Amino acid sequence: MNYKTKEKINLTVGYIGMIIVVMAWIYPVFFLIVNANKTASEYSKGDKTEIIFGTAFIDNAIKAWNKGIGDGVLNSLIYGFCGSSLAVIFAFLAAFGIVRLKMKNGLLWFLLIYSGTVFPFQMYLLPLFEAYVAIGIYNTKFGLILMYVSICIPFATFVLRGFFLTVPWELQELAKIEGASNLQILYKIMMPLAKAPLLLVFLIQFTWIWNDLLFGMVLSRSTSVRPVTSALVGMQNLYAQMDGPTILMATVMASIPTLVIFLLLQRHFIRGLTLGSMGTGKG
Amino acid sequence: MNFNKDTNQAYLYIAPAVILVSLICIYPIIRTFIMSFTDNDGLNPANFIGFDNYIKLFLDPNYIIPIKNTIIWTVLATVFPVAIGFLFAYSIQFLPRSNFFQILIYIPATVSAAAAGVLFGFILDKSGLFNQVLALIGFEHLNRDWLFRAPENTYSMIGAYTWQATGINMMIFLVGLQGLPKEPMEAAKIDGAKGFTLIFKIVIPMIMPYFVIASLLALINSFRIFDSVWVMTMGGPGRYSETLAVTMYREGFIIFDLGYAAAVAVLISLVGLVFSYYYLKSVLTKEDVS
Repeated sequence: MNYKTKEKINLTVGYIGMIIVVMAWIYPVFFLIVNANKTASEYSKGDKTEIIFGTAFIDNAIKAWNKGIGDGVLNSLIYGFCGSSLAVIFAFLAAFGIVRLKMKNGLLWFLLIYSGTVFPFQMYLLPLFEAYVAIGIYNTKFGLILMYVSICIPFATFVLRGFFLTVPWELQELAKIEGASNLQILYKIMMPLAKAPLLLVFLIQFTWIWNDLLFGMVLSRSTSVRPVTSALVGMQNLYAQMDGPTILMATVMASIPTLVIFLLLQRHFIRGLTLGSMGTGKG
Repeated sequence: MNFNKDTNQAYLYIAPAVILVSLICIYPIIRTFIMSFTDNDGLNPANFIGFDNYIKLFLDPNYIIPIKNTIIWTVLATVFPVAIGFLFAYSIQFLPRSNFFQILIYIPATVSAAAAGVLFGFILDKSGLFNQVLALIGFEHLNRDWLFRAPENTYSMIGAYTWQATGINMMIFLVGLQGLPKEPMEAAKIDGAKGFTLIFKIVIPMIMPYFVIASLLALINSFRIFDSVWVMTMGGPGRYSETLAVTMYREGFIIFDLGYAAAVAVLISLVGLVFSYYYLKSVLTKEDVS
């Protein structure tokens, strides 16, 4: 009885303590949202700790969208969707070939593809820039999509190879006997089974592309091509011509898609994250 | 015979992936490696100059700063996110509605390094939130321009980075803690083990593999830190907060000393590959076990 009461008190104290710690932890997010809604003068003159529910939400959102973040958001949506979905398709084909068609030296082919994500990205930048300028795809949407697709393939292949290793062989043999081609097996049998891993890889790679700054900086320059992260950093560097709340509002806009993806996936994220986070698995 | 036909067809299936990865990933890696032994400046024909770029890297006093900063980053941006991530995971697992805490704590980790960098640029500004909060609780004398003074800026940025990098570690430890058998903990509690004794003697040894994975992952990411530094200080003032990845970018894309930038990239890779090797080893053995 006494022990139980003590446990209960401990738990309550711990609970309250944790609530305070977590509130402090997410306070910067709170600061971001509150101040993104203030007018410029409310922000610059006012006390930053002060909570006023600003009225400039729509004004700031329109300004932020028109002054650069809008193009960035649209570009990154294109890069995220095209880059991630093409990478998933190519990786799905490759993993199917390696595992299900029992490729000779399959492991070596897999390692060749996977080696694309083992090195730090610093190793890619100079030659990519050089080659992109030389063949005229520097600062083009095509160039960025090409790079994002390629760079997302290794991690996607890694996960999908793991998936194909778990599918029972009887299914495939049965379909074979009935005369199905490999492409039909891939499309009609494997695809429905692989829905969950395909979606997971797509969303993880979408998040990675959305959050990438380095490649966007190196391979693009103009506002009509650069991704959302470069656009945001570009706005920050023009701070003198732009007010604080507008940039904070742009930061909110640049963060919403990945937040939504996390809330959708939550715990499913972990497996993918821990497996691939050294490469393009991490956000 | 059918088998042979399949293996031949398999080449078609892997072709797009292999071609793209070879062109966009593997070719640049090889080319960067070769470039690091040249005096390539993007304009004149490049000459092979042996190890000159590497020697320069270690002898030039200018590059002591990025090397030192990178070491500080690697150590602190590993220790803090991993330790705080563990503390969060360990504390919230006892609480009801831990899922709610988990989501809140993870939210900063969903934001891109660029967005977090911009946000902390405002918070750490001279008239920003952090200084105002300090003044509010009576530490006004500590107020300073956190991102424009060395060495404070490196530590401030590591703080901002920790805020963002802790979530993933908490998730890793939550997975580890959930898989723990309850008996040893109960037994230790009955024997009177409490608080830190329980954590250090019982819990941490039991989830050691997760500590190894989390730490190696943090090492890989912090050794090549670029985004956070670039967004918050660009390596400045001067080059006082530069890390090796920022040096690489600056040398390659601003100064156009491509050979030298390539040497920095190779150095980052050599160290990174050592971490990656152990990381992959521990992740893959973990997978086999479970």
